[in-house]
Amino acid sequence: MSPEQIVHMKGIRKIYPDGTIALRGVDFSVKEGEIHGLLGENGAGKTTLMNILYGLIPPTSGEIYLRGEKVEINSPREAMEMGIGMVHQHFMLIPTFSALDNIILGREPLSGPLTIDRRSARKEIEALMEETGLKVDLDALVENLPVGIQQRIEILKMLYKKAEILILDEPTAVLTPIEVRELFSFLRKMKESGKTIIFITHKLKEVKAIADRVTVLRRGEVIGVRDAKDVEIPELARMMVGRDIKMKIEKRPPSLGEEVLIVKDLWVKDDRGRDAVRGLSFSVRAGEIFGIAGVEGNGQSELVEAICGLRKVDRGSVILCGVDATSMNPIKLYSLGLGHIPEDRHKWGIILDFSVEENSIVGVHRNKKFLNSIGLMKGGEICKWADNIVKSFNVEVLSLKTPARSLSGGNQQKLIVGRELSKNPRVVIASQPTRGLDVAATEYIRDLLLRMRDEGRAILLVSADLDEVMSLSDRMAVMYEGRFTGIVDPEKVSEEQVGMMMGGISIGGSYEH
Amino acid sequence: MSIKYWKQIVDSLLSLMAGFFVGGIIIWLAGFDPLLFYQGLLIGAFGNLYYFMTTLSYAAPLMLTGLSFAIAARASLFNVGAEGQSYLGALAAVSIGAFLTLPNLAHQLLIIVFAFVLGGLLGGLAGWLKVSRGVNEVVSTIMLNYLSLYVSNYLFTYWLYDPMRAYKTKNIETTAILPFVMPGTDLSLSLFLAVLASFFIYILLWKTPFGYEIRAVGLNPTAASYGGINVRRSMVLSMFISGGVAALAGAFEVMGRFHCMDTELTYIKGYGFDGIAVSLIGRNHPIAIIPASILFAMLKTGVQAVQRYTSVGGRTGVPLELGLAVQGVIIVFVALPSIIDMIRRMR
Amino acid sequence: MDLGILSIFVEPSFYLGALRLMVPITLAAIGEIIAERSGVVNIGLEGIIMLGALSSVYVGYFTGNLYLALLAGISTGIALGILHALISIYLAGDQIVVGVGLNLFAYGIGVVTLYLTWGTFANSPIIPKGAQIPKFYGFSPFVPFTIAVGIIAWYIIERTSIGLRLKAVGENPRAADSAGINVFKIRFFATLVGSVLAALGGVFLGLDWLASYTRDISAGRGFIALAMVVFSRWNPIIAVFSGLLFGFLFAISLSIPSGIVPDQVIWSIPYIATVLVAAGFVAKTRAPAALGKPYKRE
Repeated sequence: MSPEQIVHMKGIRKIYPDGTIALRGVDFSVKEGEIHGLLGENGAGKTTLMNILYGLIPPTSGEIYLRGEKVEINSPREAMEMGIGMVHQHFMLIPTFSALDNIILGREPLSGPLTIDRRSARKEIEALMEETGLKVDLDALVENLPVGIQQRIEILKMLYKKAEILILDEPTAVLTPIEVRELFSFLRKMKESGKTIIFITHKLKEVKAIADRVTVLRRGEVIGVRDAKDVEIPELARMMVGRDIKMKIEKRPPSLGEEVLIVKDLWVKDDRGRDAVRGLSFSVRAGEIFGIAGVEGNGQSELVEAICGLRKVDRGSVILCGVDATSMNPIKLYSLGLGHIPEDRHKWGIILDFSVEENSIVGVHRNKKFLNSIGLMKGGEICKWADNIVKSFNVEVLSLKTPARSLSGGNQQKLIVGRELSKNPRVVIASQPTRGLDVAATEYIRDLLLRMRDEGRAILLVSADLDEVMSLSDRMAVMYEGRFTGIVDPEKVSEEQVGMMMGGISIGGSYEH
Repeated sequence: MSIKYWKQIVDSLLSLMAGFFVGGIIIWLAGFDPLLFYQGLLIGAFGNLYYFMTTLSYAAPLMLTGLSFAIAARASLFNVGAEGQSYLGALAAVSIGAFLTLPNLAHQLLIIVFAFVLGGLLGGLAGWLKVSRGVNEVVSTIMLNYLSLYVSNYLFTYWLYDPMRAYKTKNIETTAILPFVMPGTDLSLSLFLAVLASFFIYILLWKTPFGYEIRAVGLNPTAASYGGINVRRSMVLSMFISGGVAALAGAFEVMGRFHCMDTELTYIKGYGFDGIAVSLIGRNHPIAIIPASILFAMLKTGVQAVQRYTSVGGRTGVPLELGLAVQGVIIVFVALPSIIDMIRRMR
Repeated sequence: MDLGILSIFVEPSFYLGALRLMVPITLAAIGEIIAERSGVVNIGLEGIIMLGALSSVYVGYFTGNLYLALLAGISTGIALGILHALISIYLAGDQIVVGVGLNLFAYGIGVVTLYLTWGTFANSPIIPKGAQIPKFYGFSPFVPFTIAVGIIAWYIIERTSIGLRLKAVGENPRAADSAGINVFKIRFFATLVGSVLAALGGVFLGLDWLASYTRDISAGRGFIALAMVVFSRWNPIIAVFSGLLFGFLFAISLSIPSGIVPDQVIWSIPYIATVLVAAGFVAKTRAPAALGKPYKRE
């Protein structure tokens, strides 16, 4: 370990209580005064590693050395005292406070016993703004400020607290191209004044543009460390994504029907009012699985929500089974033949304190077939319905009356999928369908998706798990910043091409059967 | 599944025990013998047939106000307004019972409908304020309690009074009463109607799509609305029904026990708040509320009897409001996340 | 000239009474503002007011000493604050149910004590002069005290570092945590302060307004205070003004001679006003974002 290494993390392991291994013995070091890029796709462990450095999570094992000395970082406060600052993907700002108050929170300058000396704080921050070129209206309320400015406040916060090591987690995700340029020139200025910067990203072009060195993580392991000027993008792409696709799933060639889901020039805004989906057009045919891969946060969730009636469509249209379904409410979409396996099953998909039986009829509980002549629910019919779902979809449960809460994640998901399928949809939107599930349940759901496809339904699969998308889809698109960087045949595309698409390089082409 | 029920029963029992224990301490601090108190409680509740019938007669209004709280609770709403809603029920009973002439059966039916609607409107108002203006229903229902008290008090004192008797309304006509089950006691048909109501509410909540929706909304409004349920409508309607049932408590007391009401409404004061404890102990389940209400009725008659029992040589004994303090403690214990879980965690 | 009803408005005692009526609800409201801005809701205000009154009257009656009585009231506030904090913050219990239980308990204990100590269900006897809060021709020092509390509370919240952190904890506890602030400690103390202020409101009722205890001593003031918090946009100075407004309404309801308008209508005024206020017919605004949600460190 050389003396110029300002940060050295050795053998960092992180295993979560439920058994998930996030980091498998990572060695990571940063030279003083450099801009170091931490590159990887979903689940690589980059944010986890930095959260450990920032004191938000404890490592399961491993050591951290700061400026050559072994340290223990137990909280963000300690990290800040050691000169480490972090700007997260989700900002830690108080919306109703002014920019000034957000910056000084936690380290307020005092005049007198308790009174905040805002005047001297203001002077200090204004000097900081001059130095760095980051201008912000200190009295504006954060909730009224655009995201790019909010990020500046987060950065000023770090600098105000005298951070020497700056960690930024996917900072360009929320910026316009101009703002990205400004950010980069700011980072270079920081480097000149001797600060060390760690820059987490999945964007290949950026890392090549700004970093001095790059560490590539994949699945909790370091794949390699390179000097940015010596490595080319394709190699980085391969390192980021490359693996032998372990799960080669047997599937029949698709027997295609008509286009059941057509998306035309769709624009959707996210919660912050920015365009998350930018003019996307594609179609899904009956009998095929169309997969959308890509690092999370590039508009996938918003796309799914817009199609399923949970989010307003800004511009463009969605056509379902020949009917214009743009911004229709969920119930109408169901009747048109839409099925949705939601991303957050505890929020949208299941009522934890209802029994399996009661959950099986959500959405169809008013259906005539469950009611008798005086309007009471027919326990027998409901039981049959639930039983059918449970048996057909292998939901492991002792009794239909068990509350859904006591089911494992996998069984909950199977229940939801079973329920959706029992409505006999023509189009199924599966969003992160195997997230958080054990191996057996994951396999089961994937088989199910293939079965549905063979039955002639149209499946739109959106997943952060690249393997999943590549092995299940007949056609695959990669989403980046609200657009597709390519639509390809997963069996023919190379690792390098996939990595490039995920990292933002458009390889063009639109693969149709 | 049955494990879950057992856990809840034990939790309720533990809360009850905690409440009684603290009550015992208070009694002891006040200079009385707690064991004597509890002995007296049991005798006063069940000692002889007369006591027993009286206990059961108190179970009826408690059951109804308990049901009222439970219905709203299923939609995750706190209806603390059963008190005021029961006053309106009494108002309905007296106004229609004493000032209209109708044949038997029709008379009672009209009172029941009118009472239900009045109470329902009061509850529904609180519900509407919540979904449309975000008003906390605890605050609004309590304010409406006061309003209801004043309105009823006013109408009773100036419009519906009995010129012959001070502070009492006119008696309702015989066509409007609920007959006594056993002459000489206060137990009337109201108990059976209350039990009927419990079953009816149970069926409503678990066997109809409407009740299904209310429960879904109470447990996970996001998933419920995604499943096509109109969350706001379910909330307002559940408050409406909750208010209506509470009103029946007041109406039945007029029709069954008193055949009139006192202008200050002291005859039915407190049932609304008691109902909260009843429902919480019964875990907000209509069927469990039946035994829970009998339990609290025991507390009521028991305390009354103890008061007489412990009065020796002019000094009267433990006051009735002790029961309220005990209830308060019970409720606080029910508020704790499952006591069993806590004990397990402490090990 | 006969002014009829309006004659009450020319009596100085009316205004002095209105000022004193302002005290209990305003103190409780300011206390609740502090607690709510840190994210904690206390439905049991009514119970705390009652128990604050009860304890101070009890001690005041037997000792005849004002300071001991005050101490009793404050200690009650502290104890109840700790209880509420333990249950809602530490144990993550149901805040609303606890409050409801507390209110019932306080009511019951109040009457029991009333009866066992003084043998009555109505009013306790008037406490000795020595225990009463001194008044000067109907003007009580608690009035300027309340106003001062409001101003101090405002100053602390808006101008000091503690206040900044308090607000942060109530808006975004996660962000506050990551800025190094101890969320639990702040919420705990905010709840405690809120409880003590509410208890002081009760103390005023017991040692000044009635100089005795009665079962309905609070008469819904705790809930009115809850509504006032919203109406005042969680601002202690506006709370003082809204307290004056309600004090005024209460005073009217007490002073209007019977018979002109039915008493019951008059008595209803404060409660109708509360509903209107809570419904935002007068002002609609935003609560602290994390209000009522227990915070869990991941």
